[in-house]
Amino acid sequence: MASPPAARSGPSPLVPLAYLTCAASAFLAAALGIGWLARDLASHYYHPRVLALTHTVTLGWITLAIMGASYQLIPIVLERPIWSERLARWQLGVLAVAVVGMIAHFYLGTWPELAAAAGLLAAGIGLHLLNVGLSLRGFTRWTFTARMAMLGYGGLALTTLFGLALAINRMRPFLPGEFFPTLHAHVHLALLGWVTPMIFGVTARVYPMFLLAPVPGRWSCRLQLWGLAVGLPSVELGLVGVRGLLVPGALAVAVAAGSHAWWVLAAVRGRKRPGLDWGLRFALTGTGFLLPAAMLGGSLAADLLSGPRAAVAYAVIVLGGWVSLTIAGMMLKIVPFLVWHRAFGPRAGRERVPTLANLSWPWVEGTAYALLTGGVALLAVAALVGEVTAIRAAAAVLALGALAFSLVLVRILGHLSPRFQKTPATLVA
Amino acid sequence: MAPRLATVPESHRVHLDVREGLRRGEEPFARIMAAVKTLAPDHVLVLRAPFEPVPLYDVLGKRGFAHWTERHAADDWSVWFYREVGRRTVLDVRALEPPQPMVRVLEEAERLGPDDELEVRHERRPVFLYPQLDERGFVHETDEPEPGVVRIRVRRR
Repeated sequence: MASPPAARSGPSPLVPLAYLTCAASAFLAAALGIGWLARDLASHYYHPRVLALTHTVTLGWITLAIMGASYQLIPIVLERPIWSERLARWQLGVLAVAVVGMIAHFYLGTWPELAAAAGLLAAGIGLHLLNVGLSLRGFTRWTFTARMAMLGYGGLALTTLFGLALAINRMRPFLPGEFFPTLHAHVHLALLGWVTPMIFGVTARVYPMFLLAPVPGRWSCRLQLWGLAVGLPSVELGLVGVRGLLVPGALAVAVAAGSHAWWVLAAVRGRKRPGLDWGLRFALTGTGFLLPAAMLGGSLAADLLSGPRAAVAYAVIVLGGWVSLTIAGMMLKIVPFLVWHRAFGPRAGRERVPTLANLSWPWVEGTAYALLTGGVALLAVAALVGEVTAIRAAAAVLALGALAFSLVLVRILGHLSPRFQKTPATLVA
Repeated sequence: MAPRLATVPESHRVHLDVREGLRRGEEPFARIMAAVKTLAPDHVLVLRAPFEPVPLYDVLGKRGFAHWTERHAADDWSVWFYREVGRRTVLDVRALEPPQPMVRVLEEAERLGPDDELEVRHERRPVFLYPQLDERGFVHETDEPEPGVVRIRVRRR
């Protein structure tokens, strides 16, 4: 039976672009800050300045990027219009102030103000969850992507409450158990409850679209879902006290990660697209980092490895390798599309319009790819060794990579300017 | 002959004879498609072939062409390909990477006549396309005839 389209007015490209631009700014700031904090990174991760850096990455870069992508992908992937784009804009303002506040107060080590910023962050995240929840009212098509997104939003809510509790606990201790296991539980709730399901879910829908590939076997999706559904609570309980659950939980997560990697590989092998652009190379290289991440994570869970250096190396590989390279790759696909749609969509079909590749600088994308992938690998090794000079060298490579990546985004976003839109002939040549 | 074809002036007929080429073992498909591509909306293609080119009926039918066939001898056929009034074009964009589906659909939509219909086969509901169609004065309806296939029918308002 015929039905009207899901979103008559169409999603605004400017909302996700605003989020992604803020996220990219945080990424650049974090990359530039690593060299500055090399000495701290070589000692122990529980240092106010390292916590500021970590939250620049996790909140400023990763969370804002996923939220921005959500505002584009919910209409496309879940086929539901955004309930309120105005609320999404207000929410970005609240989140930007909260994230900057949290980073600043972590850096300064001023805990009451940090708790206030965390409260503001919780309000901003609450607005996001409200907007998403109202967008998905009456939703009935529970695909793998939709289930993973729901898991992710649940994980985001729990991570936020957990973080808020940690901030309050810093001033008025009330949480039971030891401090570091509780901190590790917060980190893994964010990673396995929020970031991982969102990446798994979105990947399952957009990689076949980007690669022009058939969707690989459904059993792999089931393993990813069940691996996380079993692994996440087991790891959390294992970290906060039931030690016997930690290794089985880590194994379940490793099964989910392995299934995801197999799925991505199968999609790449089955693709009809002859070549891979830099966005896809970024994303696929990110998936490649899952293997060392699973090995390091498993070794830490089984006490084969221990200590702050191994933990920092693990964080670099997971957050800098898998998550950041995947997000950078997806941004190199999403941002040109949004800009193209805004700048050239109204003229498509009536005159020649540029392709997505025409909007970018492929050679600078390639430079960013080489520097960021190399920089992450170098930084992980340098952190594991605990050598300050090596960390500084890796940080310099990463900073150059982040600058190249930012340059590409600036170039693409520049096409929103009417000056560029008036001269498509130079772009389509 | 269809009455409409009898009134088509000689200047609007594009003649293409592939008999000699086929005898030499040449593949005529590319020549035929090139001729079709450059065909003006009110022109007809008169194809001369040594056999009835049945597969072409389907290929060109999907592009909105009707045909009328005349048998001169067992090895001599004329087929007239012409655009139907109120033609229906099918466009499958499932193997294209964004934003090419939108570009192709809008290109085809801009060529639609008052009674023509464009049927698009997509793998998802194209939420960025709908506003463009609305703004350009097209009506459209979407359904899912089978799992994984989204069908959008587009006409001028």
